[in-house]
Amino acid sequence: MGFVLRFLLRRLAQGVVIMLIVSMAIFTILRWDDSKKDTPARLILGPMATQDAIDRKTEELGFNDPIPTQYLAYIIKVFEGDLGTSYIRAESGMSLGATQDDIQTQRASVLRLMLGALPMTLQLAAVALLIAMLIAVPIGVAAGLNQGHWPDRLAVYLSSVFVSLPNFWLGIVLAFLLTAQLGWLPSIGYRGFTYTILPATVIAIEMAPLFIRSLSVSIAAAVRQNFIALAHVRGIPSHTIFLRNVLRNIAVPNLNLFGVQIGALVGGVLIVEYIFDYPGFGLLTVQAVSQRDYPVIQGISIISSAIFVIANILVDLVSAKIDPRVEL
Amino acid sequence: MNAPATSSSPARSERETILAVEDLGIELVRGAERRAILDGVSFAVPERGLIGIIGESGSGKTVLGRALTGWVPEPLRQTRGSVAVAGRKLSQLTNEELRQLRGRTVGYIGSDPGTSFDPTLPIGVQIAQKLRAVVPHTGWAAAKKRVLDLLDQVRIPSAARRFDEYPYQFSGGMLQRAAIVDALVAQPKILICDNITQPLDVTIAAQIVRLLRGLERDLATAIVFFTSSVPVAKELIDDLIILDKGRIIERGPKDRVIARPAEAHTRRLIDSSPRIWGKDVDVPRNTTAAALPSDVLLSVEDVVKTYRVPDRTRFSGTLEVKAVRGVTLDIRAGENVGLVGESGCGKSTLSRLLSWIETPDRGHIRFQGKDMAGLRGKELLAMRRKFQLLLQDPYNCLPPHLSVAKTIRTSLDIHGVKRAEARERARAVMHEVGLKDDDAERLPIGMSAGQRQRVNIARALVLEPTLLILDETLSSLDPAEQSRLIDLFERLQAKHGLTYLVISHDLALVRKVCSRVAVMYLGKIVENAGNARIFDNPGNPYTRALLSAVPVLDKGPFNPAECLVDGEPPSPINVPKGCSFATRCPKAADLCRSSEPLFSTSEQNRNGVACHFPYH
Repeated sequence: MGFVLRFLLRRLAQGVVIMLIVSMAIFTILRWDDSKKDTPARLILGPMATQDAIDRKTEELGFNDPIPTQYLAYIIKVFEGDLGTSYIRAESGMSLGATQDDIQTQRASVLRLMLGALPMTLQLAAVALLIAMLIAVPIGVAAGLNQGHWPDRLAVYLSSVFVSLPNFWLGIVLAFLLTAQLGWLPSIGYRGFTYTILPATVIAIEMAPLFIRSLSVSIAAAVRQNFIALAHVRGIPSHTIFLRNVLRNIAVPNLNLFGVQIGALVGGVLIVEYIFDYPGFGLLTVQAVSQRDYPVIQGISIISSAIFVIANILVDLVSAKIDPRVEL
Repeated sequence: MNAPATSSSPARSERETILAVEDLGIELVRGAERRAILDGVSFAVPERGLIGIIGESGSGKTVLGRALTGWVPEPLRQTRGSVAVAGRKLSQLTNEELRQLRGRTVGYIGSDPGTSFDPTLPIGVQIAQKLRAVVPHTGWAAAKKRVLDLLDQVRIPSAARRFDEYPYQFSGGMLQRAAIVDALVAQPKILICDNITQPLDVTIAAQIVRLLRGLERDLATAIVFFTSSVPVAKELIDDLIILDKGRIIERGPKDRVIARPAEAHTRRLIDSSPRIWGKDVDVPRNTTAAALPSDVLLSVEDVVKTYRVPDRTRFSGTLEVKAVRGVTLDIRAGENVGLVGESGCGKSTLSRLLSWIETPDRGHIRFQGKDMAGLRGKELLAMRRKFQLLLQDPYNCLPPHLSVAKTIRTSLDIHGVKRAEARERARAVMHEVGLKDDDAERLPIGMSAGQRQRVNIARALVLEPTLLILDETLSSLDPAEQSRLIDLFERLQAKHGLTYLVISHDLALVRKVCSRVAVMYLGKIVENAGNARIFDNPGNPYTRALLSAVPVLDKGPFNPAECLVDGEPPSPINVPKGCSFATRCPKAADLCRSSEPLFSTSEQNRNGVACHFPYH
C-alpha cells in the first residue's frame, strides 16, 4: 500500500500549495485598494476615532508594512492555528462596530466564529445532498436503464425545469408558500432542525439536475458495455448485474462529479443562507464581506479551500478502491 | 490428412440432439428498414458434437452465435423458426427459465476477451459469482475451489494468485482462457465459441485451440465453433457448416468439404485461407528490385526505448519497461521489409520511434542519411512528410466530424500547401486509392473498414512520402478487402517508388508482400533474412515456433509438436537473463540461460540471427 501513502503525501502537499495561493490572492486583493478612507484601523475603531488613535492602531497592527510582510506574519499565525480576530464582531456575536475601547480580547476569534457556523452549514449541506439524492437517484437510474423511453424524457424535462429555477426566486417562493401561507415549515433564521429543510430543498433542486444527468448518462453507457450484455448470457440475474457490476462501474465518474460539486455547494449555500438568514458559513461570509471584516473573509477562504481539497482526496481514494485501474 | 480422431464417442445416430435450430430467421428492423440477417438457418448438434460454422465477416456468424443463447438484442428481431436447447425452445421460456438454461446448459465465449469481464472485479471472483448464481446452494469455498481447478486445467500459471487479479492484469490470451473457464464452470452441455481466436496472436490462438481440443475430451461438451478461418476450424471440429449472407450454403464432414467443396463460395473461403508454403503460394513479385543493392533509406542503429511506470508495490520508485532493447535495421529504397512478432514484443513502440512520434533513449535513426535527432523545426517537418505511419484501427484514427476531403486536406494544410492546390491534390489522391468523388463530402461514419483505411492511405499519400510504415494496417480487414488493398499498395509502389515497412502479426501477409523479414522478440530483433530463408529455413527456433503456429490447411514444414512454444512471452519489465527466448525455447541449453546471444550478420546478404544454436 506504499503508493497510497505516497499519493496522500503528494496530494496533501498540493493541497497546502493550493490553499497558500488562494489565501495569498484573497489577502492581497482585500488590501489592494487602500484609499486611506476605510483603513483597517478605521474599521476597527470606528468613524468617531481620532486620527491619532488610528495612527497608533495602524502602527500597532503593522498595517503600514508592505503587503507581503503582512501576509507572511498572517500565514505564520495561521500555521500556529491562529486565524486572527474579527475587526468588527465581539465574542458575544454582536457587531461591536465603532468603539474606541480596543481591548482585543473582546473581539471574536475568527476560528471560534467559524467553528460556530461550520456545523450549521455542514448540516444544511448534508440535508441538501440527501434531498438531491432522493430526487436524482430514482430518476437518473430509471432514465439510464430506459434510454429513449419515457423515464429518459421525464428526466430531461424535469432537469430543464429545475435548472431554470433561480435559487433566490425559488427560496422566496417556497418561504412565501410553505411558511407564510400554509405554515407547514418554518424558514427564516434558525431555532431547530426543521429550519434546515426549506433552504436544503432549494439547494437540492439546484444540484439535482447535474446528478440526474450524470447518473443517467453513465448508467446508459455502462449497460451498453460488452461485459454487461455477456453477464446476462452467462446466466446472472438482472438485479445482481445492476447492483454488482453497473453500480461499481458508474461509481468513479459520479464520485468525481460529486467532488467537483462540493465547490458549487459552497456557492449555493452562500446565497441560500443569506435568503433564509440561516446562521452558517454563507451568512457569515456575506456579512463579513459587507462589513469588510478581512480576517473573517480570509479564514473562510482558507477553510473552504481545505474542505474542497480534502473532499477531493477522499473521492480519489474511494475511486481507486472501487476501480483498481484508477491511477493515484 | 491428419484428422484428430474424436470417434471414440458413441456413434452419431445414438447421441441425443442437444441443440436444434429450425428455419431460424432474424431481421434487422430500424425504422422502415428491414434487412434479413439470418434466413432459414437449420442445423442440429448432437451431444458431444463438434461443429464449425464458417463465414466471412458480415455473414451473420455473430448474430447466429448469440441467438443460440437466446440473445437477440434490438434492433434485431427473430421473425421465424426456433432455437431449442436440450429440447426446450428458447423463445418460449420465461426470463428466469432462460437465465437458468444459459448458465447451466449453454456456455458462451465471445470474440473480445478484453471486454468480457467487469474491469472493477477480480477475474476469479467473477467466475465464482457466476457459478453461485447459476448453481444454487454452492458455497463460496466450493465455488472458489472449482474455479481454481479449472484455471489450472486451462494452464493459467499460478492460478491461486491470478484468481484475485483484475482483468487489466491479464493478457488477451490469458483472458480468453479465463473466459473458457467461465463458460465451462457450470459444466454446460454445449459450448458456443464466437470467433474466439480472432484477436489473438497465432502462437496464443494455436494454444487455445489445442486447449479446447483437450478439454472437449475431458468435459464431454458439444462445441459450436464460429470462425472465419477454415484452418483454425479444421484443427478442432468434425463437421463444417458454411454460412454466407445469412444462409447455410454447404455442410458436411470437414475433410469432404475442404477437399471437394460443392459451392463456389466455399471454394473461395478455402482458397483465401493463408498460404505460406506449397506450390501456388504468393511471394513478392518485385524480387528483382530487392536483389539489386539500392541506397539505404532508413537506417536504425542500436535504438533503445525504456518506459518508466510507477511501482505500486513500493513507496517510491519506478519499474522499467524495456520496450525496445537495441534494434539495428536497414531499410533500402524500394524494398518491402516485414517486422513480425507476438503482441508486446515492441513492434509498435519501434514503429513509433521510426515515425519519430517518440524519440529513442539511445541510438540513431537516420532517414536518407540524416540523423533525425539533429533536425528541428521546418527541417523536421519537411522530413516528416517523407515517412508516414498507417495504423491498424481504421475506426479511431479519423476525426469523426470532418468530411473525407477535409481530413485529407488537413495534412496539406499542416505542411503549408495553398487551399486551391490542396483541393486538387486531395481529389487526385482520392481517385488513386479508389475513393469516388461522392465520397469527398461524406463523414467517416457509415463507411466500411476498407473505405476508412483508403481514406487513411490517401491522407498519408497526399504528402508524397517515400516510406510508408504500415503498423497492422491490413489486420482488421477481411481477406477480400485485404487483397484489394495489397493490390493498391503494389500499384502505388510501382508508380511512386514507395518503400514499405510492414509491421504485422499476420505471417501469411508478410510472406505475400515482403522481400525481407525481421523477427522481433522482447524488444530485440532475433532474426533478419530474406523472404525465402525466413519461411523455408529459418535459423532462429523462435521463428520456427511462430511459423508452426500459423493455421494452414496443408501441413507446414514445421511440426507444431516440436516447435510450438508454451506459455506467453516474459514481461518486458522482467527480461530474463541470457537469451530472452530461453524460457520457452525447445533447444535452450545452459549457455542460453547465462549469456545473451549477439546478433550476427553476414555482410553479403544482410541476413542475421541472434541465437547460440541456430539452425543451418
